[in-house]
Amino acid sequence: MPEESILSDGFVRELMNVGDVDIVVGVPTYNDARSVGQVVQAVRAGLLKHFPRERSVIINADGGSRDGTQDMVRAAAISDLSLVSDVHALRTLHSISTQYEGGPANGIAMHTILAATDLLQARTCAIVSPESTTLEPDWMERLLRPVLRDGNDLVLPIYRRPKFDGLLIRNLVFPMANVLYGCPVREPYPSDFAFSGELGSNFLGQDIWNQEQGRLGTELWMTLWAAIGKRKLVQSFLGTKTRREDAPSDLVAAMRETAGTLFTSLDAYTSIWHSTPETVIAPCIGCEPAISDGPSRLNRKRLYDMFTFGVKELDPVFLSILTTPTHDELKRLAELPEEKFTYSEELWARTVYEFAISFHKTVIGRDHIVQALVPLFRGRAHTFLTQNRDASAEEMERNLEILCKAFEQEKPHLIDRWDGGK
Amino acid sequence: MAAQDGLWYKDAVIYQVHVRAFYDSSGDGNGDFRGLAQKLDYLQELGVNTIWLMPFFPSPLRDDGYDIADYRSVNPTYGTLDDFKAFLQAAHQRGIRVIIEMVLNHTSDQHPWFQESRSSRNNPRRDWYVWSDTDTKYKGTRLIFLDTELSNWAWDPVSKQYYWHRFFSHQPDLNYDNPQVREEMWDIMKFWLQMGVDAFRLDAVPYLVEREGTNCENLPETHEIIKDLRARMDREFPGRMLLAEANQWPTDLRAYFGNGDEFHMAFHFPLMPRMFMGLKLEDRKPITEILKQTPEIPENCQWCLFLRNHDELTLEMVTDMERDYMYDEYAKDKAMRINLGIRRRLAPLLDNDRRRIELMNGLLMSLPGTPIIYYGDEIGMGDNVHLGDRHGVRTPMQWEGGWNGGFSAADPETLYSPLMLNPVYGFQAINVQSQKRFEHSLLSWMKRLIRIRKATPVLGRGSIQFLYPANHRVLAYTRKLGNETILAVNNLSSKAQAVELDLKEYRGNILVEMFGRNIFPRIGDVPYLLTLGPYQFFWFRLRRI
Repeated sequence: MPEESILSDGFVRELMNVGDVDIVVGVPTYNDARSVGQVVQAVRAGLLKHFPRERSVIINADGGSRDGTQDMVRAAAISDLSLVSDVHALRTLHSISTQYEGGPANGIAMHTILAATDLLQARTCAIVSPESTTLEPDWMERLLRPVLRDGNDLVLPIYRRPKFDGLLIRNLVFPMANVLYGCPVREPYPSDFAFSGELGSNFLGQDIWNQEQGRLGTELWMTLWAAIGKRKLVQSFLGTKTRREDAPSDLVAAMRETAGTLFTSLDAYTSIWHSTPETVIAPCIGCEPAISDGPSRLNRKRLYDMFTFGVKELDPVFLSILTTPTHDELKRLAELPEEKFTYSEELWARTVYEFAISFHKTVIGRDHIVQALVPLFRGRAHTFLTQNRDASAEEMERNLEILCKAFEQEKPHLIDRWDGGK
Repeated sequence: MAAQDGLWYKDAVIYQVHVRAFYDSSGDGNGDFRGLAQKLDYLQELGVNTIWLMPFFPSPLRDDGYDIADYRSVNPTYGTLDDFKAFLQAAHQRGIRVIIEMVLNHTSDQHPWFQESRSSRNNPRRDWYVWSDTDTKYKGTRLIFLDTELSNWAWDPVSKQYYWHRFFSHQPDLNYDNPQVREEMWDIMKFWLQMGVDAFRLDAVPYLVEREGTNCENLPETHEIIKDLRARMDREFPGRMLLAEANQWPTDLRAYFGNGDEFHMAFHFPLMPRMFMGLKLEDRKPITEILKQTPEIPENCQWCLFLRNHDELTLEMVTDMERDYMYDEYAKDKAMRINLGIRRRLAPLLDNDRRRIELMNGLLMSLPGTPIIYYGDEIGMGDNVHLGDRHGVRTPMQWEGGWNGGFSAADPETLYSPLMLNPVYGFQAINVQSQKRFEHSLLSWMKRLIRIRKATPVLGRGSIQFLYPANHRVLAYTRKLGNETILAVNNLSSKAQAVELDLKEYRGNILVEMFGRNIFPRIGDVPYLLTLGPYQFFWFRLRRI
């Protein structure tokens, strides 16, 4: 049983004291002391406000923080909420903090939380990011109610985000998940989401926990797994989401989690995406305009420079990954001055697919393949920023549709070359 | 009874009974004092040592006797004053004390005092009640009977003024600013004390005095009146006891103990609904929380605990959210609700689940305070929510499976109230006679429980310390008096639970389970592990041998 190896004796003891519950809220952390207290307080307030009668437990799975994250969680769990909000608990709201082995890795945290959810026989589990400083108590209702009341299996978030947040999701994850798996959800790689206890047990039972997906990009794998399994998905508008100012920004790591997971999934679910998958229906609850104005922190010039530098520096790598036409096209692009630079949707889609094929065939080390995509993504991001600089929300939607169409049109290219030669 | 021990009420196990509902000796369909006297052997056998009688005075019975029309007599339906005296003497002979009701706050509108008072504005008794030309005074006063009353003022068409009433409009409030009223009420109390009653339950005490700009509850003047009555009683009748009915928060209730010079005992109203809440939530939080908020009381004072009584399970002392929860869980059928409460008996509230009934009685007997058992709950009687008001919890006592449940020889149609007839709670299923036959009946179990409680003074007089084990479904506490320590561990959950108790303080003690007298392992250095079945509870005596 997977949960036997993942849960420490001390943690099991704490779970024993909690007993069976209706709701688990999991908070995976690693060095999040600056924001986790605020998040846990908001979660508690939300549970007390919207689910006073349900048995609930907040489980913090920590990857070995050295900044006092767990202390912050413990302090937030016993703080007097009546001082900050008008809520009164009918019953004890449990809170547990545990440190898992082998971390930090979000997937291991997820595994720990899933195992606890399974043991406690929870009806639903929500996962919230310790960096979600805009998390409001009402998010708990918006995440959990669709499972508890409406019987949905997976509740994915929709946020109101600054215009140019989530570029990797919009340019890579969304179109691939949409076109290859028929999963047109806005946040396929969620940091705040919820699922039924039954689906949680199903996740837990899959043989991924000793693989890369069980460490990185696990949340994306969960979305894809639920979509492929024809689970009842719903999207719930939560509110504004902004990145913590001091949140680390590691594009290589993000690429590993997203592209790495997506490329791996293509191996596992070949028969699904080879066919034309039925589009998953994922209605949106309470949706509002999802884009907010705000200054972009991205420097287009720097993106352009890093793209051109990357194309030159990694040419031998690209030669082993890309087809000749694609390679040549990228080299031509890298010669263009910035004002004429455009990384088209078609070229981007083809690039991504060719990386996926190379990943599948392991033409070089898989991690190298994923890392090599980073400078190219920067080029694509430059074009995305240029295209949408003055675009309205509707225009951005249309541009996203165009991108998806490009991924659709290039899909035969992916299928043709999947099992063939270069 | 002689007052050998001035603190007798701390060791009491009280049985609340309505004369009308207990046993009819005359065959007229109503219980009476002669009938009650005949059943004293039963109560003695049950083990209770104190009886609390609901009002038995002449009354139009529009509020089940709390609308008194003559304070110095017995309602003829229940017998005569001599019958009462005989009952009192018989109870005392069995070592059973008697508490009677004293409704200080108001009378019936049929009381001669009120009839005189309303007869004209110049009547000498006019000022015995609270009159006004307008119905706008004391605006800050809440309405208690929300379901039936629109205002605390009622118009009197005879004298053409409004009179003040905190309860039903047929229960005008007495005017305690009038010294004559105070003297008269003390005279009435003396009348009964001289006869030998051991204690009074003073009804509706927070409302005695009215003052503009206040909520007319718990006023300092009210406390002065109580202090005065207590001082007189202590002086002339030492060893007698005053019990307060004040449905208030613990901090407000605390004032009614004064410095040990007001009430001896007061009902802990906020605890009762929280016991039911804790059980349904399977979480000790509501119980420990309210007891944490309960202030210390003077050494000579005591809380009075109860699970059910003649009134609704009052939800005045809970938050709106808690009230909604209680309604949803315990009174899904709206017919079960009345005022701000639930008109149901113990057994139906607990789905007739023997384990939960035992657990709740175990809590009643082991939490700090003097327990009260409501008549019929010792056999698990049911209720009839369709009888109106709170009559559904006041149906005749079920003695046996025969004619009228053994309550009366009258024709069933003439009984003061229909008997319970349904197959689950009806008198043929639930009655004293059948439960006496079996060692494992609820009645037999209650006898054992009461016997242990009475044999364990620490439960009546000891301090309490909560243990707070990590498992929140387990409520554990120690009760201590001198060298004696009792450990109570209660599983509020419907499922088996394991719990680790921090008993380091008692290292080396052996636990002796008090019902079976079995020995449990000695307390060591590591947390003491116990497993409890669903709704199971343990009482352990800690022995250092």
